[in-house]
Amino acid sequence: MYKQTQVIGGKGEGAPRFSQTLRSITVDGSERLYAVGDSELKVFEADGTLRRRWPTSMPGHAVAVAEDGSVYVGESGQVEIFDRDGKLVSTWRDPERLGRITAIGFASGCVLVGDAADRAIRRYDLNGTFLNDIGRNNRMQGFRIPNGVIDFGVDADGIVHATNPGKHRIEHYTPDDQLLGHFGRFDGIDPAGFPGCCNPTNVAVAGRERIYVTEKAEPRAKVYDFQGNLIAVIATDVFDPNCKNMAIAVDRRGRVYVADTVRLEIIVFEGDAES
Amino acid sequence: MSDHPTRRDALSRVARGTVLLGFGGTSVFLIDKADGQVVWQVDASRCVNSRLGDVGAPVCALCTTECVVQQSAVRAVNNFRECGRCYICPAYYNIKSAVDENGLPSEKLCPRDAIERKPIGLVDPEDPANNFYEYIIDEVKCDGCGICVKGCKEPLGLGSIILKVRHDLCVDCNHCAISKACPKEALARQPVETALEPTLAAPATR
Amino acid sequence: MTAFAGPRRLLVVLAPFVLLAWLAPARASAQAVPYDRPVEVAPQQETIGGGYLTPDVQKPRPREYWLEVLDVVLLGFAMGVAVWLVVTRRSRRSALALTVVCLAYFGFYREGCICPIGSIQNVALSLADPTYKIPIVVTAVFFMPLVVALFFGRAFCGGVCPLGAIQELVVLKPVQVPRKLDDALGLLKYGYLGLAILLAVQPMIARDFVICRFDPFVGFFRREGFAHMMFIGAGFLALGTVVGRPYCRYLCPYGVLLSWCSRLAPRGVTITPNKELDCGLCAAACPYGAINENRAIRKECLYCARCYASCPCETRPGPAL
Repeated sequence: MYKQTQVIGGKGEGAPRFSQTLRSITVDGSERLYAVGDSELKVFEADGTLRRRWPTSMPGHAVAVAEDGSVYVGESGQVEIFDRDGKLVSTWRDPERLGRITAIGFASGCVLVGDAADRAIRRYDLNGTFLNDIGRNNRMQGFRIPNGVIDFGVDADGIVHATNPGKHRIEHYTPDDQLLGHFGRFDGIDPAGFPGCCNPTNVAVAGRERIYVTEKAEPRAKVYDFQGNLIAVIATDVFDPNCKNMAIAVDRRGRVYVADTVRLEIIVFEGDAES
Repeated sequence: MSDHPTRRDALSRVARGTVLLGFGGTSVFLIDKADGQVVWQVDASRCVNSRLGDVGAPVCALCTTECVVQQSAVRAVNNFRECGRCYICPAYYNIKSAVDENGLPSEKLCPRDAIERKPIGLVDPEDPANNFYEYIIDEVKCDGCGICVKGCKEPLGLGSIILKVRHDLCVDCNHCAISKACPKEALARQPVETALEPTLAAPATR
Repeated sequence: MTAFAGPRRLLVVLAPFVLLAWLAPARASAQAVPYDRPVEVAPQQETIGGGYLTPDVQKPRPREYWLEVLDVVLLGFAMGVAVWLVVTRRSRRSALALTVVCLAYFGFYREGCICPIGSIQNVALSLADPTYKIPIVVTAVFFMPLVVALFFGRAFCGGVCPLGAIQELVVLKPVQVPRKLDDALGLLKYGYLGLAILLAVQPMIARDFVICRFDPFVGFFRREGFAHMMFIGAGFLALGTVVGRPYCRYLCPYGVLLSWCSRLAPRGVTITPNKELDCGLCAAACPYGAINENRAIRKECLYCARCYASCPCETRPGPAL
């Protein structure tokens, strides 16, 4: 159903390659791919050529592109905001609330930031004022993330779909921290279930219909609908078996981008007309 | 034998002196590069069951079979500071087994049933996954077979369980029989303080 | 001493040292993949809350280092006592008592480790491989009996060595092994020494400490061991009832070094000519073939003091018969 069409990046020295880490990817409205790793942000065109790159002050763990084109990079202890040309516009620092930012998203005029150190999603307005936490109001005081990465995606209605890998499920929250529901269960055999100790690790959301997840320990990428029914397994064998916390992104045309964290490359998949 | 020192006695004396000098020189050379107390220990970053980045390797039970002590001096050790305390532990459960009615895997991995799974605090009756769980290895039962170590190995688990030589059981052979068999040369002598630390020798992320 | 023995023995032992130059150990590579491992995200006690304390991992300590040093001191002391009891006091009974005490401590309590015989391998490897280091106690354990042998003969063999002690206690009806056969069998020691050194200095996978692996008596000392080794140990003890201390005389590699050093000793077990009566009782009493023509062969003498016990001049003080 899904075919691998391209491989972008790769491990090595040189401009389009990554030397040590590849941690997060995202796609903007013009189908450009932003990838963050090492201490650099790289922008690739849809055909895979490197468009531009600029350094970040610390190794980046998360990247997201706002509607106005500004690029948010989440790091350990801060969020850096660049304009579309790579100039640093501002840096958010909050010693209590910005620990290790592994996911960034936008919902109805606010910025959502996933703090893996405190296992919660924080909601800020566009000026950097803290509004509220998401996901802390439970017995575990946060998400169960033994892998050290918290990831979420925001759908077109502004609902936050976050992975809770320790509980083997995807949870749906409103931006003001109301848990609407969840789907997913542990299963080591059935491909619709999430195997291992802590899966799914990363998630991406498209429109109103599709949730894309990646898993570790037998790394694979899958796509579900909002009710939690498995639509397809995108790929299983193409990733390095040592991969963990593979970032995933989806563009408007339904192309899926998965970051292989060991080979340091982004693999692009295209499905047939089933969306 | 006469009381006068004979030539033979003199030669003996010279030879003794030379030999003593040789001994002295060799001793100094050896002592100069001597280290303190060193004991046999498993290097978890080389051990097949726990080394990072080596997903496909089958479980290696040489530590159990090769040790000259009846029940191997090598045991599995869970470093609690690094354990994820997961609801479904891949070292405790056989995660490939069928799921039972509670949503947990039906089979456990340890052939000697040496791991105990204890919820921390009171179990949430509505959702047992709402708890942290402590996994404690009973070292009296454990024989170092490495199955749980492989289950905990990254990326499947967090790599908090590793095989370690227990020095109250190890007889400190001159040349460890396991070290002779280990294909990755993971058994080596280490200084005592390093040997006692229960962790993989891998750096933490930034 | 036969004529051909000297140079050939030398060759057998020196050959491994010649090989030392090009033996360079190489270790297998470590982790296969450079990896990100976020250990700090594991739930700590603050995260879990509710008064939970992270349990400490047990760290059972090995035997304290000062006890190893004590063992070295005791070894030296025991050898000193052996010299005094055998050379000065000339008392068989006391020597036997020392044998029993040393067998109990160095043999059954310390389980035979660390011993000078095995330390040959460690010292050889340490000389061959610049990265291999041995603790000071091992160097001490290797050289101390040799230094004592240099001055007083094989005092170490005289009841201090636990392997010798256990064989000493089973000598019941020893036969006198014919000289030629004794010499021929004695060559096995040299071969064993050469082989042990050769295998000890190999790189890691090929390395084999055969002296330790084929120690016939360590199974008794540890009260457990491989079945075939227990059998071989029992065999040695059974043989040892009729042939005095066969391991010591024909196989012990350290005995080679001790015999070389004891040749140069100015003092030790002696049978003095101007006191002996030519009765030959000492030669008959010595189970180890260490008395030739009523003279003690210092390099063979295992310090048991049976000769003194059998000598009419020793046992009956006063004017000679």
